Amino acid sequence: MRTTIRLVAGSLSLGVVLVAGVAAAGPLDGPGAAKALACSACHGPGGQSPSNTMPIIAGIAPWYFKKAIEDYAGGRRPSPEMEPYAKYVIQAGVDDLAAYFTGQARQPTAMRPDAAAIERGRAASKQCAICHGESGRGDAAKGSPDLRGQPPGYLRHQMLLFKADRRNPADETLKALKALMKTVPDDQIGDLAAYYSSLR
Amino acid sequence: MTRLTRREFLRTSGTGAGLGLLAAAGVAGCAPAIKGDFAPKAGRRVVVIGGGWGGATAAKYVRLADPSIEVVLLEPNQQFVSCPFSNLVLSGVRSIDSLTFGYGGLRSHDVKVYHAAASAIEPDTRRVRVGEGYLEYDRLIVSPGVEFQWEQVDGLAEAQDRVLHAWKAGRQTVQLARQLEAMPDGGVFVLTVPPVAYRCPPGPYERACQVAWYLKTRKPKSKLVVLDANQNVVSKAALFRAAWKDYPNLEYRASNKVVKVDPSTREVTTDFGDRVKYDVVNLIPPQRAGTIAVQADLVGADKRWCEVDHVTYESVKHKNVHVVGDSTIGLPVPKSGNIANAMGKICAVAVVHLLNGKEVPSMAPGNTCYSWVNDREAIAVVNAYKIEGGKVVQIEQKLTPSQSAEWAQHADGWARSIWQDILA
Repeated sequence: MRTTIRLVAGSLSLGVVLVAGVAAAGPLDGPGAAKALACSACHGPGGQSPSNTMPIIAGIAPWYFKKAIEDYAGGRRPSPEMEPYAKYVIQAGVDDLAAYFTGQARQPTAMRPDAAAIERGRAASKQCAICHGESGRGDAAKGSPDLRGQPPGYLRHQMLLFKADRRNPADETLKALKALMKTVPDDQIGDLAAYYSSLR
Repeated sequence: MTRLTRREFLRTSGTGAGLGLLAAAGVAGCAPAIKGDFAPKAGRRVVVIGGGWGGATAAKYVRLADPSIEVVLLEPNQQFVSCPFSNLVLSGVRSIDSLTFGYGGLRSHDVKVYHAAASAIEPDTRRVRVGEGYLEYDRLIVSPGVEFQWEQVDGLAEAQDRVLHAWKAGRQTVQLARQLEAMPDGGVFVLTVPPVAYRCPPGPYERACQVAWYLKTRKPKSKLVVLDANQNVVSKAALFRAAWKDYPNLEYRASNKVVKVDPSTREVTTDFGDRVKYDVVNLIPPQRAGTIAVQADLVGADKRWCEVDHVTYESVKHKNVHVVGDSTIGLPVPKSGNIANAMGKICAVAVVHLLNGKEVPSMAPGNTCYSWVNDREAIAVVNAYKIEGGKVVQIEQKLTPSQSAEWAQHADGWARSIWQDILA
């Protein structure tokens, strides 16, 4: 690493290439667009997160957006980052923001997990399909969100939070899911994340 | 989706024909000079001074909000170097090139980027002077960042590159990393923290962590002395103090304002008259708004910072001139990159609404701020705000309960997203 610094200092650094993703953001009209500007620092323009850790919220189902915001704001889904922002969203108008993000065309994550991990994840995904469906698209009636094309790092982290009972710790409706997650080895959690992130 | 190649980057970064070349030459202080109205205004135009976190964001978002408005960005530097994460260059955890970006993304939004410095603002005629020439604007967004108050520390102005601040990421960051690397084991590294207000409140303490981590792992007989002008750690105090338990090589002295530096004797002097010897010094000077803001009379009675309307970011002193980023004061927000980015977006939307004769939406910024406490763990503070009675008011502040690799992963994700939000 120290060598890298020396090399860079002595030459013209062209720097890092950023991939533009703003075309998806669209014009800043509608009541939610301006309010959603606070979200793009982490979730990307239009909710199209470019990173491995922040979820894509473009095209999110409105019921799931609202549940997430209410859970964060109420402290039921503990997050030092999202609790304040969820309170901002409620203050600004959760329906406006839900409508804005729902209206954004979702592009799947640019992260490309290892093909072998995807295949292992596919083989291990049968039990997940009961709630999330064969396609991973989720089911509002069961309260299960669409997992397709989310960043693998985000999916893996959420599964680990479920497994450790750190996501919605007191939520009775998630008991069965958490019991299931406890039976899944950590490396298989990575495979499942790879698989669902690869779905379109 | 567009991806800039090296060739495209070079083509669009000031080596092209016409004004870009003139402007680039103007930076170096040599002919050909810019003269007269060097880019006559055809339609409505927003000029942005400063292509950092606030200005670059504002330039892009004016174009996104209304593509019929021309945007001209004046930024002397050919490249954007991120201050957030630059403390990791000192510890060798990241390279400076991983924090360095071109302005090609802004050009793809038809932002006209001139690598030139604005030399004066003429609010009455709505002109910005650049060298011997000028540009006309309908609205001006000024995002000049901070300037150092060299005169506040005796000997600092004369010391020049012998005493580094490394508080504007770039050349000095790399120089300081080299000094740290070259310091003999057993040496003393002195880091000084300026009195508030200054850019990035937790920044000096994150830097202390990175330097202490580097010394602990590479030069275990060495010591870091932090001389803080403030009475306590300014930001995330409990979390930083918890992190410092891993660094017995770190000596923190509160209420120790450095008033003098002498590179010939390698010594700093505090306002109590205490002298501290150093092998390497990193003196972060006291700060004020960028020079153009002071010259243009955008600063308040303190002669340091710019007061603005909390909804439009229009200067309280000059009409049609907006100020965003670290040079502002009066909002209950920290001088952070995330806040500058948020101000840039809100101001851009406000300016577009004003130019279109529409009511400006009331939007509050948000603050997400991560600090790395070693090579793999971070802490964070997050602030949410609302607008109440035309003023920014804090809704809530949350801190991470402890340091962990989890927050560091989030920090990486945040950086990737926000750099794109600013520049891509």
